[in-house]
Amino acid sequence: MRLAVQRRRAAWVLIAPAVAVLLVLNLFPIVYALYISVHYWTLARPQPPRFAGLSNYVDLFFDERFRNAVLVSLKFIVLAVGIELLLGLGLAFVFNMRLRGIATLRKLTLLPSLAMPLVVGLAWFYMFNENFGLVNWIWVMLGGTRVPFLTQGTLALLSIVAADVWQWTPFVMLVFYAALQALPEYVYEAARIDGLSGGQIFFRVTLPLLRPAILIVLVIRAVDALRSLELVFMMTKGGPAGDTEVLPWYLYTTGFLSLDLGYAAAMAVLMLALVTVLCQLFAGLLESQEAAP
Amino acid sequence: MTVALIRNKDQHVSVRRSASAWPIGTVGYLVAAIFTGFCLFPFYVILTTALKTETAIFAWPPVWVFKPTLQSFYNALFVFGGRSAISYLINSIVISAVSTILAVVLGAMAAYGFVRFRFAGKRHLAFWILSTRFAPPVAFIVPIYLMVQKAGLLDSHIALILIYTAMNLSLVIWILRGFFAEIPIEIEEAALVDGYSRLQIFWRVAVPLVRPGIVSTAILSAIFSWNEFLYAMVLTQSRAATLPVYLAGFSNSMGLAWGEYMAVGAMAVLPILVFTFAVQKYLVRGLTFGAVK
Repeated sequence: MRLAVQRRRAAWVLIAPAVAVLLVLNLFPIVYALYISVHYWTLARPQPPRFAGLSNYVDLFFDERFRNAVLVSLKFIVLAVGIELLLGLGLAFVFNMRLRGIATLRKLTLLPSLAMPLVVGLAWFYMFNENFGLVNWIWVMLGGTRVPFLTQGTLALLSIVAADVWQWTPFVMLVFYAALQALPEYVYEAARIDGLSGGQIFFRVTLPLLRPAILIVLVIRAVDALRSLELVFMMTKGGPAGDTEVLPWYLYTTGFLSLDLGYAAAMAVLMLALVTVLCQLFAGLLESQEAAP
Repeated sequence: MTVALIRNKDQHVSVRRSASAWPIGTVGYLVAAIFTGFCLFPFYVILTTALKTETAIFAWPPVWVFKPTLQSFYNALFVFGGRSAISYLINSIVISAVSTILAVVLGAMAAYGFVRFRFAGKRHLAFWILSTRFAPPVAFIVPIYLMVQKAGLLDSHIALILIYTAMNLSLVIWILRGFFAEIPIEIEEAALVDGYSRLQIFWRVAVPLVRPGIVSTAILSAIFSWNEFLYAMVLTQSRAATLPVYLAGFSNSMGLAWGEYMAVGAMAVLPILVFTFAVQKYLVRGLTFGAVK
């Protein structure tokens, strides 16, 4: 009995400090964001915040710019994560080949994953420059004319997608590579005994077995792509004409350039709701992964 | 059955061998090499731009062979309009280091508590902590800004340190949870018999055994603090401003000071590459929360 009390006390001594930090800096801000979001709350005027009910949310519903931001974010996520997954999957098979020295190349590909996103944005901003950028130079060498990559709507978004793809494809590839390495040989042997062709093995054996890895990487990348704003900050500032104004960028400018905190908080709450759904998905995946033998 | 399996195993080996022969092997090498080059190229651009003279930076066609100069580094660190990068660099180092130490100490304690103790609501608590990893900073920035402002901690080191500690806790806890779980319980039971208390076992027995895990999580969380942009930009101005805040000033330079900003970018990114290499074994595990090993 006394031992049980001791145990419980030890558990709390160990866990409480971390939980306290997260309560103050994670849970409380969520509650506070909810509170701010039902107020007219601006940094521009000295008046105290005034209760607004749900009007910030109603305004969001009719806000063209918000709708545009959601759409741009969606486009960005689908394009970037889609390309990263496809490229990563293909490359995982290449790097899974038993070739001498390929392990060294694989380790080198990791380097973009932890590079400061702001510097990634700076580097790609330079490379996509219309007047002296390398991408334009290559394009002209191939016989094209100069392209205003960052000032033409669709191209600007694609340029940001390109920078994101550069940074994250290696990580996606490595997750798939690790998953491929973990696939037991006997599965393939059984498939061959059953007389399946290479294509059939890929679609009926390999792909289904990679499903957990695909889902995990999909959720992680989607959440990260949803919240990233460094590339937009460095490369386009949301322009031209809102064509690259992703949700985090609109939220940030609403809060800290237009100083409308209440409205920004309403956006934050909606964003948190979306992330919570994605997170539940991820937790479910993780649990099934941990339950697996 | 056994015979078939063995024969197929032989066939399997021959299939693998033929994969490394021409032409599939060559194509594989080619694809892997091109992809690796693609991953490394922007780093080359960052470094060479930082080492170019201003004329070479704006040259069309791009200059490939040039006499490197440290002028941009010198300007960024010592001259540059009274806005030396040195204090930003020091702030980045201090804030990353202190927040990492805090996150690792608190995180290791909590992780051990989760692994070795049973208590009500443990699963929920663990998954709540996991969910904080998905928290988009941009959704928290409004309430956090007001909290920091009310605490009188705008432009202070301590605010960023605490926020980054909270940001990295979930990562530390989830990775170290896996490491602690791998310690054979018998070792700890032996220590218990020897009269160690629960907390002594944690500190003197368990922690030394997971040192590789602690080192790699510390490196990862230091890099995440080092790279963080949004909180730093909103919450600091000069006294506690970190390198990303310096880099964000690029947009005010009218796109002229490429050399200086690339020099600071190089300082922000290149040291990280060494660490990325050091943790590459744990990178995928870390970034997927142990879902993929």
